[in-house]
Amino acid sequence: MKEVFAAISKDFETFGTIEKEGEVIFDKVNDFEHISEKRSRYAPKEFLIKRNENVLLLEEQTRRAVFGVKSCDLKGFYQMDKQILGKDPFYTERREKTLFVNFVCNEPCDGGFCTSFGGPILDQYDLQVLRDGKDYHIMVSDKFKEYFNDYREEGDSFFSRFSESFNSKMDVLPVDGLEGRMKWNSGLWKEFASRCISCGACNFSCPTCYCFDLYDDENERKREWDSCILSGFTSSSAGNVRKDLDERLRQRFYHKYVYFKKSKGEYLCTGCNRCVEDCPVGIDIKEVITHDYSIE
Amino acid sequence: MYSIEFKTKNKGKAGQFYMLSVPGVGEAPISVASGSGRRLVFTIRSIGTVTARMKGSKSVGLRGPYGTYWPWKDNDEIVAVAGGIGVPPIRSLIEEMEDSKMTERLEVLYGARSPSDIVYKNQFKEWKKDLDIHITVDKGDSEWKGSVGFVPSLLKDSHFSKNAALFVIGPPLMMMNTVKEALKLGYKDDRIFLSLERRMECGIGVCGHCNVGQYYACESGPIFNYSTVKGEQELFL
Repeated sequence: MKEVFAAISKDFETFGTIEKEGEVIFDKVNDFEHISEKRSRYAPKEFLIKRNENVLLLEEQTRRAVFGVKSCDLKGFYQMDKQILGKDPFYTERREKTLFVNFVCNEPCDGGFCTSFGGPILDQYDLQVLRDGKDYHIMVSDKFKEYFNDYREEGDSFFSRFSESFNSKMDVLPVDGLEGRMKWNSGLWKEFASRCISCGACNFSCPTCYCFDLYDDENERKREWDSCILSGFTSSSAGNVRKDLDERLRQRFYHKYVYFKKSKGEYLCTGCNRCVEDCPVGIDIKEVITHDYSIE
Repeated sequence: MYSIEFKTKNKGKAGQFYMLSVPGVGEAPISVASGSGRRLVFTIRSIGTVTARMKGSKSVGLRGPYGTYWPWKDNDEIVAVAGGIGVPPIRSLIEEMEDSKMTERLEVLYGARSPSDIVYKNQFKEWKKDLDIHITVDKGDSEWKGSVGFVPSLLKDSHFSKNAALFVIGPPLMMMNTVKEALKLGYKDDRIFLSLERRMECGIGVCGHCNVGQYYACESGPIFNYSTVKGEQELFL
């Protein structure tokens, strides 16, 4: 893996997960040993969608390789690709020039539910790395095969065996058919609203949330991460289509589990559990999946 | 209400919108009010931060056109139903059909709150010469001799068949009542087209603000086939 890292770092500006001041963050890295296998405190969304930037100018981006992204976070990009790749010029420019190396978790994490959406072995990846003791098993996309000319090719049986064992250690939630099961007038939205403080942490922590706000700031036009939980999200001179917090919470869950599924054939959620971990009032998106709507 | 005209030609079609901006203030989505190929005209109600500052602004930014348009070329009989200040995209439609000498395929039903709220009053007089136009007001005044009542009540005055396409634009309640009345009268739901207004920021389906259910209004709209969106809970908001 060291050699692969060295070869890649000749062609790319390399970033990786490092432990710094008690947190796992992404930073520039020069050697493979310093890369942490722990999940980053925040999803790597900023590599492709900046929190805030001027949209009047799109500079050519450097090629970047990002090591240590977890599968749940990486999967978020593949999902949002379906709506914004090729349309959002900033996202597209960076997406095409960034190589992500996802580290597959060896064990399920507390609270995570990635197996409900296929588990940590992804179908789409650049380099997918699974460590087995001191050995590394790597799945590589055609685009980056050149880095592996000298390596032995193995079948995918190791990955499928791992997948089977991993998935048996994590509860799979009943996501199938959720888009038809969720109820518009469910009491769940009001119950969540009674606790929600509209902080937007769920949106910002989410590896699949892509919404942004556009605004003018003197000579610049800026885009900034936005949150569908905030009242201003749909407010316009014509009025506000979602005046109440329960309506806005419902929109968030409907986008993830109904609208995106209907329009793109996939749920807009990877089971990373980040929104649950960062919610200050304990709203758990898993309840949206497990709630019994039939009794309402 | 005020209109602004650009030297640039309208590269879009009736029903589409542009993002207009005042530098340093912000952008707003505005429907185009002139026909395709004519000089760009926008008729704007000064209601938000941007639209209030646009009037008299030395420079106005422009990008677009965006979104879907009225499918008038696919229909032999078209009833355009507009309410209040929703009429600029119908002005654009009239100009396009005039330029193609197709106005015999069009009827316009327009409703305003009061005679003084009628937008394009003088132009309506001109258009009436070779176009079938019916206007109503919710409440008349001493000089008003026309009909009084809500827009949907004009539907029964149409000379076209019930296979006609309806192009509906206006406040949500007006659109909802128009659709209800139209379905009752026997118009087909897949021949009703609605123009939906939402908070659009990017115009290209990526910023996430303007969804109507699974659709983004800037991308799949603003002109929607009613049969596509009729099941959406947030349709007439």
